[in-house]
Amino acid sequence: MARKMLIDGELGQTIEEEKQYDFDLFVIGAGSGGVRASRTSASFGAKVAICELPFHPISSEVIGGIGGTCVIRGCVPKKILVYGAQFRGEFEDCRNFGWELSDQVDFNWKKLLHNKTQEITRLNGIYKRLLSNAGVTMFEGEGKLIDAHLVEVTQADGTTKQYSAKHILIATGSRAQRVNIPGKELAITSDEALSLDELPKRAVILGGGYIAVEFASIWRGLGAEVDLFYRKELPLRGFDDEMRAVVAKNLEGRGIRLHPGTNLSELRNGEDGIRVLTDHGDEITADVVLFATGRLPNTKRLNLQAVGVEVDKTGAIKVDEYSRTTVPNIWAVGDVTNRMNLTPVALMEGTCFSKTVFGGQPTKPDYISIPCAVFCIPPLSVVGLSEQQALEQAKSDILVYTSSFNPMKNTISGRQEKTVMKLIVDSETDKVLGASMCGPDAPEIMQGLAVALKCGATKAQFDSTVGIHPSAAEEFVTMRSITRRVTAGAKP
Amino acid sequence: MARKMLIDGELGQTATDEKQYDFDLFVIGAGSGGVRASRTSAAFGAKVAICELPFHPVSSEVIGGVGGTCVIRGCVPKKILVYAAQFRGEFEDSRNFGWELSDEIGFNWKKLLHNKTQEIIRLNGIYKRLLSNAGVTMFEGEGKLIDAHLVEVTQPDGTTKQYSAKHILIATGSRAQLVNIPGKELAITSDEALSLDELPKRAVILGGGYIAIEFASIWRGMGAEVDLFYRKELPLRGFDDEMRAAVAKNLEGRGIRLHPGTNLSELRQSGDGIRVLTDHGDQITTDVVLFATGRLPNTKRLNLQAVGVEVDKTGAVKVDEYSRTTVPNIWAVGDVTNRINLTPVALMEGTCFSKTVFGGQPTKPDYINVPCAVFCIPPLSVVGLNEQQALEQTKSDILVYTSSFNPMKNTISGRQEKTTMKLVVDAETDEVLGASMCGPDAPEIMQGIAVALKCGATKAQFDSTVGIHPSAAEEFVTMRSITRRVAAGTKLKTNL
Repeated sequence: MARKMLIDGELGQTIEEEKQYDFDLFVIGAGSGGVRASRTSASFGAKVAICELPFHPISSEVIGGIGGTCVIRGCVPKKILVYGAQFRGEFEDCRNFGWELSDQVDFNWKKLLHNKTQEITRLNGIYKRLLSNAGVTMFEGEGKLIDAHLVEVTQADGTTKQYSAKHILIATGSRAQRVNIPGKELAITSDEALSLDELPKRAVILGGGYIAVEFASIWRGLGAEVDLFYRKELPLRGFDDEMRAVVAKNLEGRGIRLHPGTNLSELRNGEDGIRVLTDHGDEITADVVLFATGRLPNTKRLNLQAVGVEVDKTGAIKVDEYSRTTVPNIWAVGDVTNRMNLTPVALMEGTCFSKTVFGGQPTKPDYISIPCAVFCIPPLSVVGLSEQQALEQAKSDILVYTSSFNPMKNTISGRQEKTVMKLIVDSETDKVLGASMCGPDAPEIMQGLAVALKCGATKAQFDSTVGIHPSAAEEFVTMRSITRRVTAGAKP
Repeated sequence: MARKMLIDGELGQTATDEKQYDFDLFVIGAGSGGVRASRTSAAFGAKVAICELPFHPVSSEVIGGVGGTCVIRGCVPKKILVYAAQFRGEFEDSRNFGWELSDEIGFNWKKLLHNKTQEIIRLNGIYKRLLSNAGVTMFEGEGKLIDAHLVEVTQPDGTTKQYSAKHILIATGSRAQLVNIPGKELAITSDEALSLDELPKRAVILGGGYIAIEFASIWRGMGAEVDLFYRKELPLRGFDDEMRAAVAKNLEGRGIRLHPGTNLSELRQSGDGIRVLTDHGDQITTDVVLFATGRLPNTKRLNLQAVGVEVDKTGAVKVDEYSRTTVPNIWAVGDVTNRINLTPVALMEGTCFSKTVFGGQPTKPDYINVPCAVFCIPPLSVVGLNEQQALEQTKSDILVYTSSFNPMKNTISGRQEKTTMKLVVDAETDEVLGASMCGPDAPEIMQGIAVALKCGATKAQFDSTVGIHPSAAEEFVTMRSITRRVAAGTKLKTNL
């Protein structure tokens, strides 16, 4: 579908002679950020092209797929597996509610794997349709920059084609990295973990971030023995310390063995599995070893240096507040810029990019009070500042409200697992600076609170909101007693 | 624990001679409103007494229990039964996630009943401890008014005692009513339904309100055949019409047989159950008939008329914005005043009462944007104005945003059941006037949205909030297309 060339509303540039480009915009990478930017730019009238690697659940330098990490090997399949894993807890809980379930319930991993794969394939098809309905031209292949206005796409058969574009958007995302220890080739990353042929009976996970913690919960729920190793004293570095401790306690309560302050030093092939050596001198044998030790931006093969697009030391593309790179007509959004690596943030960056470049409304993405969730079982969800962050950033004292309670369902099921909620309040302005919760449905509960924080909600406004009863969420509007007051500038 | 008499901060009254009363405050009824008012008044220094009927799960004019309806035969046991019923859906859903459950899973109602009863007894004990820790004197028995400052308590053994109080708070709640049709004595109310000896195999429910809907979902989830009869075209009159339709569709999808526009005319005992006759001339035989046809305030035996406390035609105690009755030192909160009959509202009314009468801060309860939920399966939750109310109350056009989607869990489980969300926005101010959702976790999701509405959130603020992914709730902050714009003053069909 031919579109007329658009004279876009570029920042601070005078309109020069309109060179004839193949496209107004060429997007490299059809993941969350790339697809959003393509569709919204096209809706502003831009002639848009996008290239993406061929589809497969497991990525590589030359394999990807429309929909990107989120749809194919991230958020979506992860959540499906978490749903699958949560049933174990439901089967345990139902007995004291009167249900007569046999002690042993079998699990068919291949069935779940098949259904998961069907779903991501379906979504991949939907994303293609969304792009084509928006009039975006799709190319399959690996894109790289030739110069500031020229993209070269290497197709599956090896041939190359070049396309010129007024603007180029890099949205190639990131990929999981293995730590460099002997035997690392025996380990898998999250890509493979989401598509294993067999469910491991024994799993070793290295990592303290959300991916490690989520897979621990997933495999434990599906019936595996799980050992989780991480370098710090608590998992989820960067989150509120109190909440990190709650997550760790819950993981243990669900039967996951935690190994804090421990790294892995070597992997060896053994007779009955992979022999894992730790830096404490211990040994453990596992069927699967997952390295969830970080993801790096996909920039190595883009030829950025030759074109003048600068990257930082992790390989992330350097961008300004408008997502513009060091080359004026080249932009970047999503995980490849390593700002906040969440799909909704990539979507926001993509939309802001389109408004800025094609919509005549320069718009900066807003990174204040972005909520997020870790889908361990039970999950953690947060918005705003943690207690530690509040102490660093606030000028006044902060008030901490915490509530730790046994949810109603557990009083009947007998599950020994408390839900914890926390509010951080500025003692002077009464503004709620942050909220967090670890317990069933935390991510669902936190979304509405994130809207409230966006409105600048005060503790008084929280307190004047009537509760929905009975619910867990109502606890957030009924926390009347200050747990502690912390002086501004106090170091935790 | 003796407390000194308090000179309270009464509205517009000058301090007269301090008569010696037994108590600053006597509360009749230890449910949500009464307990909250007692504890907070005592916290302000008042000498408080409370009376409550003896405890039993099934109430009567002389049976109740500390904790009240919510704890003993309302919110709490209801939610426990809903949790139990939800497992059926979980078992069904788990199969396409790879779990190999047998087709038939037995359900032991007596085990659940026992565990439910243990829990409400435990909570009853906790409420007693809360009152005693607050220094509130408890009396067991039925309270009634002798005069404006005198309460008489009839104890279980029949003897009476009288207590004088500066202020009296009526918080006697409400009770379920049976509709007056032939054979009504064969029907049960929610009290009995929460404590049945046997789980019915077949259940007939009469009623279109939340209690009827919730029991339909509860019994269906536990394996019963359920027939639900209601007078209107849709259940849940008063809620947004579009959401009512979503609820009805979901109930049907879960296997509940709906009979809209139908009333019951007679119940008869028969060989294999209760024979139910409808006003369409149909007949159905069932094990249990539940009348969920309304609750009336408990005011008949309080002797209110003699003392001058006025009630309305439903028997609800008339109160002003501060919960004061037509007698200056007598107050009332909770279901007995029939304002918004929800525990959190009774709590709010109780707290405001205490602040007004003993805290020196006259405080009116705020009824704007009170959220609530119906715990059918899947549940409905709402806050603010529905579409019909918005059109009646605003001068501007309103914008309606709706989203109907298959939740991710269902795309794998194969369950054919959509989640529906709705936002109603003032076209001129961009203020979000109301939000509603019918789908899993709706009540949990709606609480935070209720805080946002309390802050006067605009659609732009909703839209500028980044989503939590993947979740159902994120749909509330990603509704970009207006479903329809409705001109100010449009009259919507509301007789469904």
